[in-house]
Amino acid sequence: MVATQQTNENNQCEESGGRPLLEILDLSVGYETGSGLVRAVDHVDLSLYAGESLGIVGESGSGKSTLVMSVLRLLPLDKTVVTGTVLFNGVDILRCPQQEMARIRWKEISIVFQKSMNSLSPVHKVWEQVEDIYRVHAPGASKDEIRERILHLFNVVNLSPRVLELYPHELSGGMLQRVCIALSLVHLPKLVIFDEATTALDVITQGQILDEVMRLERELKLTSIIVTHDISVVAKTCKRVAVMYAGRLMEVGDVGTVLVEPLHPYTKGLISSFPPLTGTRKKITGIPGALPDLKAPPPGCIFAPRCPEALKVCKEKSPVPTVVSRDGEEHLKDVKFGPGESAGLRNIQVPPIGAHVVACHKYGGDDA
Amino acid sequence: MGRYLLKKAGAAVLTIIFVLVLNFFIIHIAPGDPARILSGLDNPSPEVIQTLREKYGLDKPLQVQLVTYFKRVIKGDLGHSIVYDRPVWTLIKERLGATLLLTFTSAIIAFVLGSLLGAYSATRQGSKVDAALSFVAYLLYSMPSFWLGLMLILVFASWLKILPTSGMVNLRAPSTGILHYLDVFWHLILPATTLSLVQIPAYYRITRSSVSGVLKEDFITMFRASGMDERKIFRKYAFKNAILPTVTVFGLHLAYVVTGAALVEIVFAWPGMGRLMLGAIYRRDYPLLMGIYLIMSLSVAVTMIVVDILYAVLDPRIRYT
Repeated sequence: MVATQQTNENNQCEESGGRPLLEILDLSVGYETGSGLVRAVDHVDLSLYAGESLGIVGESGSGKSTLVMSVLRLLPLDKTVVTGTVLFNGVDILRCPQQEMARIRWKEISIVFQKSMNSLSPVHKVWEQVEDIYRVHAPGASKDEIRERILHLFNVVNLSPRVLELYPHELSGGMLQRVCIALSLVHLPKLVIFDEATTALDVITQGQILDEVMRLERELKLTSIIVTHDISVVAKTCKRVAVMYAGRLMEVGDVGTVLVEPLHPYTKGLISSFPPLTGTRKKITGIPGALPDLKAPPPGCIFAPRCPEALKVCKEKSPVPTVVSRDGEEHLKDVKFGPGESAGLRNIQVPPIGAHVVACHKYGGDDA
Repeated sequence: MGRYLLKKAGAAVLTIIFVLVLNFFIIHIAPGDPARILSGLDNPSPEVIQTLREKYGLDKPLQVQLVTYFKRVIKGDLGHSIVYDRPVWTLIKERLGATLLLTFTSAIIAFVLGSLLGAYSATRQGSKVDAALSFVAYLLYSMPSFWLGLMLILVFASWLKILPTSGMVNLRAPSTGILHYLDVFWHLILPATTLSLVQIPAYYRITRSSVSGVLKEDFITMFRASGMDERKIFRKYAFKNAILPTVTVFGLHLAYVVTGAALVEIVFAWPGMGRLMLGAIYRRDYPLLMGIYLIMSLSVAVTMIVVDILYAVLDPRIRYT
């Protein structure tokens, strides 16, 4: 069992040949409503290399959860319009057959949901659900095997074995969150998505769980996406961060760069909405205004109506995401990405690992 | 569990006593007098009425009558019917079987069909089948049972002549053995269909909304994300979570098994409790009426306890406390 898993991994490493584990290319997601299409995700390009941890931040309604839900193809088919491409390990997630998707789910990509209190059926014991979820990808697994695996993971996330015999309502929010994290790891997936996984918890429990997540990432060599509206969570746990606003990516880059010296006015505003823990007390400014109507987004940069630094061009033309150097001065103008014309999916250019990408006219976004 | 049952049973007994006392006074306050009806004359002499009143203890003050009644009930004696001149329990016993056969059959059919259709609709919301089913459900829900019964008689008995019009047995058919059961079954079809049809919409609607609510729950998304087979998610996880409200409706319907089918029983001349009760009300047969009320409240109380226990079995969040 273990041996086959390793050869699999080796094979896939060779196959992927230095390409990102997850490539999101020109992805758009619209929700069908009675009065029009709400563009929850709008032409997003994002890639994630194996071993990276990516944080996706943005205020409520910015499309973060929709983005990750579409990666697992969990959006209701009848009410959403999804265009673009999501490549996971070279597999076209949005178009692969259902069986292929069922194989990828949980075995390769697993997710920990926002409301862990509701993530388990309230009328079935934890053990029963663990057993069923484990057997999805290992139908013949014996009870002892499953128990051994889950108890090992419970130990990792600091849960007592007796939790298995309890019903979800008998556990606290933090315990349920740990159960969900343990569950997400039963098949040692390549990518784990934490969708606001700690948002509902108090800061102490959140801190403990984040520490555990970071330890797991190190020990199990996980690749992870952490979706949150809390910049401190990203600062603590992620190597890279993608800032989202109204369905579009504003800025992507290393946490140390983006959070310390943000370039995009939205990122600056988002960061100044949180009080700094150290240093002198600064005024918390926040960002005045509200999200635009996503059924009829304004022309030009989606953030322009709220942007304190908006220029004339900002209200006319959408900025193109551009790779910038560390200080934001020199533009690497020739590096554009997104699906090439020849849409031969293997040949798409993706920004190099660690690139700092900004979608703003102030930083070369008008080169298109 | 034992204590829980005891508590529930205690509450049930109190409820039954309260219902009986209330009914006793209401029925006596209502105008009408069994002695007058029994005397059978347009203008009976006061002596006849006085004698009848004394015979049945109707001349005593109400509270005395009530206490006498309770004393007898505790001994297991439901009294003597004024109109039929036979023991109340015998009268009830004769008809209880027929009624339970009809009401249980239709309750179970309605429960199974209604919730299956509701679940089916919930998984195909907005489709044509869903719209058609919802329309039919509304139609049936707004249809009086007696009218539906009459229409079914008209179509299947009068026009097509494939099913009997009324009654529970054919007097010419054998009264024992397999043929007897077949005969009863034959007579049961129309009234049971009528009763099921008017009950199905309640199950249909409640199951439809409850299943569609559960399908939107986060844990369903979680199981989907785990790659679990959609059918397994539905059968194992959605179903058990969605069944509770349906069980409630089933319990409510069962509570009325004893007398709830009165109208249908009359339309089909089904020899059941409903007709017995209406006759007793009409002729102010106090002892019979009280006996029927007792059986009725007893059945309501028992079903409620059963439903409560079932609830706790189905939903671990509900405890026996």
